[in-house]
Amino acid sequence: MNRFRQTVLALLLLLVLAGAGQARAEEPFDAGPDPFAAEDAKLQVADPLEPFNRGVFWVNDKLYFYLFKPIARGYRVVPEGVRSRIGNAFTNLAFPIRFVNSLLQLKFRGAAVEFDRFLINSTVGLGGFFDPASNLPELKAQNEDLGQTFGRYGIGHGFYLVLPVLGASSLRDGVGTLGDVFLDPWYYTGLTWAEQGGVKGGEIVNWLSLDRDTYEQIKRDAIDPYLFIRNAYIQRRQAQVDQ
Amino acid sequence: MNRMLLSLVVCLLLILPLPALAAPSAIDQVRQTVDQVLGVLRTKGMDETARRDQLRTLIRARFDFALMSQWTLGPYWRKADAAQQQRFIGLYSDLLEANYLGKIEKYSGEKVNYLGERVESGRAEVQTEVVTAQAHIPLNYRLSLEGEDWKVYDVVIEGVSLVRTYRGTFGEIARKDGIDGLLEQVAQKVREQKAGAGPKS
Repeated sequence: MNRFRQTVLALLLLLVLAGAGQARAEEPFDAGPDPFAAEDAKLQVADPLEPFNRGVFWVNDKLYFYLFKPIARGYRVVPEGVRSRIGNAFTNLAFPIRFVNSLLQLKFRGAAVEFDRFLINSTVGLGGFFDPASNLPELKAQNEDLGQTFGRYGIGHGFYLVLPVLGASSLRDGVGTLGDVFLDPWYYTGLTWAEQGGVKGGEIVNWLSLDRDTYEQIKRDAIDPYLFIRNAYIQRRQAQVDQ
Repeated sequence: MNRMLLSLVVCLLLILPLPALAAPSAIDQVRQTVDQVLGVLRTKGMDETARRDQLRTLIRARFDFALMSQWTLGPYWRKADAAQQQRFIGLYSDLLEANYLGKIEKYSGEKVNYLGERVESGRAEVQTEVVTAQAHIPLNYRLSLEGEDWKVYDVVIEGVSLVRTYRGTFGEIARKDGIDGLLEQVAQKVREQKAGAGPKS
């Protein structure tokens, strides 16, 4: 009988303890040190031209809502499948940018992958309109450009820059974009600058028609869309350089 | 006495969670929540308010908004007093929820692939990808082990961390306008979102 009482007591005690444990879990959980602190400095960018950049940002915002977006919306009469193919073709054509920059970064496997992708998609993929290469997991698209090549060799952004129409960039990436023009086949087509600009505009519209309001959502979520995009841009570029 | 000890041990085993033995899997828990979310999104003819409520419940159970708040404010968390911290958690939770809801409500049947997990001393990163017609979008969840549950403290889309993006923005605003200024601006944003985004906009 005594033993029985002791057992009951022990059980009660355990229940109380378990209850106390649960009550403790209600308090904020201490998950240890801040995992973001270490990379704070690495993912920051100088922005000495902020007033100017905000001006360009404002203009781009208007261009987006009153020029590119309405055109993209109208252009959506073209079936999505066709627009998607057109996007593929643009991407396929920009192959030299990815190929040469892979080589410059000594990523020979990446360069070989891009070369194979270009061969397969240009032939089996009917001039790049289809992307059969992506069905092979070992032929994952390599996203490389000159800005990333600079980053790979330890060159920092310098400072943040918002480019007209093209948007978020930096001194480093802006120079990269300029350099990549010479790797872009459109440069060698003999088209005038205005015509090439038109082609790029078409590419932007095609891309926007497939996008699902990314910019609108950023404006909804962010207190300051300018700072939000600046932050996101630096992170994304760092992730691309690290790849 | 031995018998009592034995019953004690049995009771202990029954009552107390044993993380070391149970080893809850981060990837399984994320998969479970994502599957539930997709289930709700796929249900046709559901009232929009009811759908939002269900999604909200699922998200609140898997995300640790208090932890996200703390790490978003970073150095400013310690500078804020308890009342400011509580106010921030409340407002920021609404903001994050609206952000995440806005993203997942665009869902139109994309497939989610689970690529793997990296676990290290109470923290984990679960790698997934969302397959759209145009691209495979990498989407990683960062989690912290709290008792039996892995709780999301960050979502990383294409290398862009949600918490870090807000951290950079809020840090700059707090530096310029102080913590109360930041709180006011977050409150304003939440009001805008509640006024603007009805069940379906």
